[in-house]
Amino acid sequence: MSVEAQQGIASKRIPAGLGGLLPALTLIGLFFVVPVLALLLRSVTDPAPGLQNYAALLGDGTYARVFFNTFLVAAVVTIVTVLVAFPVAWMLAIMPPALASVLFGIIILSMWTNLLTRTYAWMVLLQRTGVINRALMGAGIIDQPLPLINNLTGVTIGMVYIMLPFMILPLVGTLRAIDPMTLRAAALCGASPLAAFRRILLPLSLPGIAAGGLMVFVMSLGYFVTPALLGGTSNMMLAEMIAQMIQSLLNWGLGSAAAFILLVVTMALYALQIRLVGARRAAGGA
Amino acid sequence: MTEPFLSIRKLRKAFGAFTAVHDVTLDIPKGEFLTFLGPSGSGKSTTLYAIAGFQDPTSGDVLLQGKSLLSVPSHKRNIGMVFQRYTLFPHLSVAENVAFPLRVRRRPDAEVKRKVADMLALVRLESFAERLPGALSGGQQQRVALARALAYDPPILLMDEPLSALDKKLREEIQTEIRRIHRETGVTILYVTHDQEEALHLSDRIALFRDGRIEQIGTGEDLYLRPATDFVAGFIGNSNFLAAEHLETVNGAATVRLGDGSLISGINANGSFQRGQKARLMIRPEAFRLDQGSTGAELAVEIVDVAFYGERRRIVARTGAGQEIDIRPTSATLATQDVETRHRPVFFDPGAAFLFPA
Amino acid sequence: MLLDYDRLGWLKVVLLAFTAMVAAFLLLPVVFIVLLSFGSSRWLAFPPPGWTLKWYQELFADPSWIEAALTSARIATMTAILAVAIGLLASFALVRGTFRGREILRGLLLTPMVLPVVVFAIAIYAFFLRMGLGGTTLGFVIAHTVLALPFAIIPIATALEGFDKSIEDAAIVCGASPLQAKLRITLPSIRIGIFSAAIFSFLASWDEVVVAIFMASPTLQTLPVKIWGSLRSDLTPVIAAASSLLVALTLALMVVTALLRRKLQT
Repeated sequence: MSVEAQQGIASKRIPAGLGGLLPALTLIGLFFVVPVLALLLRSVTDPAPGLQNYAALLGDGTYARVFFNTFLVAAVVTIVTVLVAFPVAWMLAIMPPALASVLFGIIILSMWTNLLTRTYAWMVLLQRTGVINRALMGAGIIDQPLPLINNLTGVTIGMVYIMLPFMILPLVGTLRAIDPMTLRAAALCGASPLAAFRRILLPLSLPGIAAGGLMVFVMSLGYFVTPALLGGTSNMMLAEMIAQMIQSLLNWGLGSAAAFILLVVTMALYALQIRLVGARRAAGGA
Repeated sequence: MTEPFLSIRKLRKAFGAFTAVHDVTLDIPKGEFLTFLGPSGSGKSTTLYAIAGFQDPTSGDVLLQGKSLLSVPSHKRNIGMVFQRYTLFPHLSVAENVAFPLRVRRRPDAEVKRKVADMLALVRLESFAERLPGALSGGQQQRVALARALAYDPPILLMDEPLSALDKKLREEIQTEIRRIHRETGVTILYVTHDQEEALHLSDRIALFRDGRIEQIGTGEDLYLRPATDFVAGFIGNSNFLAAEHLETVNGAATVRLGDGSLISGINANGSFQRGQKARLMIRPEAFRLDQGSTGAELAVEIVDVAFYGERRRIVARTGAGQEIDIRPTSATLATQDVETRHRPVFFDPGAAFLFPA
Repeated sequence: MLLDYDRLGWLKVVLLAFTAMVAAFLLLPVVFIVLLSFGSSRWLAFPPPGWTLKWYQELFADPSWIEAALTSARIATMTAILAVAIGLLASFALVRGTFRGREILRGLLLTPMVLPVVVFAIAIYAFFLRMGLGGTTLGFVIAHTVLALPFAIIPIATALEGFDKSIEDAAIVCGASPLQAKLRITLPSIRIGIFSAAIFSFLASWDEVVVAIFMASPTLQTLPVKIWGSLRSDLTPVIAAASSLLVALTLALMVVTALLRRKLQT
């Protein structure tokens, strides 16, 4: 009898485990890690070895404005998204299931609809002669069309629209996990609705708000499509600038350096997110 | 002596520095219902998994009718098993679950059909054939699992705490079913549990595990009436342990002095004792008699509490040495006034008491 | 009482009104684009002066739209198949494996979902230019599979974590070989996860804009690239027609998903 010859279930797990990862690791290693590292290498070698690309990016007022704009847009979008998402998530968490499933359906429909389709709709809706301006002028609220597109307003509306589902859905989970009994106990203790909200509901949902908000902020920082279509030239964001540097200006060195900066910021915030909620939830997973 | 049906030879399983099973040796005749009983971590499940082929033993062997099983992969051992958790295949109907082992063995359709019908009749779930497992209660699921495990007529059926997820009433019901099925099929069953009542109710023999070793093996009566160690005495049934000092042993009958100075003779001595050695005297709570006419050894106690438990009363009493003991006379043999005197003697047969080393 | 729907009082009215407004906000662009695609105004006046199907006729008359849609469908299908296959193997390893560094590897495989797409887009663009894969179907499929892999791994790994390994062990004791047990018992049990993985990775490729913009060549462009190009030149209602068809596709996917889930769960 030889122990080595055995084919027990437990003994088979370990080698099978690593083998299964091989295709995924090959794919990600060869077509994700290597290209990204090559890009980083390029940022310090193109056109000549050295840190001149980073010096240019960080020393120039034009680029500084882009960085500032990127953070400003991301911050505004995050704040508005949180404020709009919280009441909706709150209602979704407690409303009757039939009503909730209708609302979930609407959220999923908007989330799954093609990104460009949604952005196109907002371009048409928000333009000078668009429906919103006409409606407002027709109602006599304004005399002149409001500038709703190619500026911060346009980007904010378009981005909040895209980010809402990413904030609402996890927040519903957080709110559903709170025992309604806690709030009843607070009421019996004499807490007014406002006090119960401030002292119980808000603090208990804060982890969900923080996690969702951070995710929205990180996604907004690197967003390309919507800012490029709804934003103006005066408030360009980082991702659009990177694309322009590569596609129009063919300045690979500068573009790579800017991409690296975006990568570092994103990954740092992602790491913070993991510290906050753990690796699996940070990736939006189980 | 004829060759045993299933034989476990010096089985040892180590996980790193920790040894879960120490050289367990065991022979099981065909058709026996043997239970591995023990606290969690005592090595009973590990031994079962080694037989199932889920874990490779560090050394030792498992022989079925003289042939080693160790080089046979789990799926070719032809062993039946019912698990602790519900393991029905969730996407297959009850009938298809039972048919699964026959289908992987590529048995002809007609045979599969007949066998499934037989098995569902055996566990009395004929009318559930087309249901999905999700629509069944926990008890029904485990009965289907039993039918599935028996469908291919395995020579051995392993059961790993199959009733631990069920509530008490259901557990007793299915225990009765399992006994009936064992009787009807004659399959050899190895059953793992940490519940001594379950073990006593079901088994022909019980192997009591402790720290990876078999502490005692025997019938339920053996373990209950003739415990080999104080661990066995403590694990099976309820026991009182009184501090005692050994005086002498003659022909296996010991005489001891208790803490209050009283002497008791005729006790079963387990092992050899020195004069003056500290020892523990074990008496079952139900071995005590309260009626004045009782014979046997006498113990002076103070009654602390009396509670009514239906078929029995439970009395907490304090000995002269200040130790609390548990007394459980049957309610029927006892009138309330019998226990009203606070200070009184209680009686027991010293032949049903055991002396263990302290 | 803040979490008791029936005991919120006036607050419920306020919150429900707000929620209804947000729902309208979420629905607005989708409904609007569908209405607009049937409107007769070339300049997208709303409400439209009349109704027409001519934008759909124009759309179907233009072979470049059809071509782009077919290209997208082909790439997204291949991406979904690859991502599910690779993701399935990886999920088994991540969930069942006992090797060290499992969590780090999981993090690595999920990174493409977190990194801004534009960074990956220029990186893979440069890489493929050098390897001669730029503007090829293979290049598209590889890049999209990288992006889709996390969307395949997450639902499959979640389903696998919820699946009791003892059930697979039970199949093996019943006489199924370890491979048979996985194919006949484990995979069918986690099919909802596999199905979600297929939908999500298909959509991840089908809707992908950024990598596609960089990778596209005049002879190979996906539907998002075609829309992107049209958007930048003018806001023709043909885009509205194409978009409406995409909305219809999304709705169809949602219905199929809901139906299949219901069927698989019972």
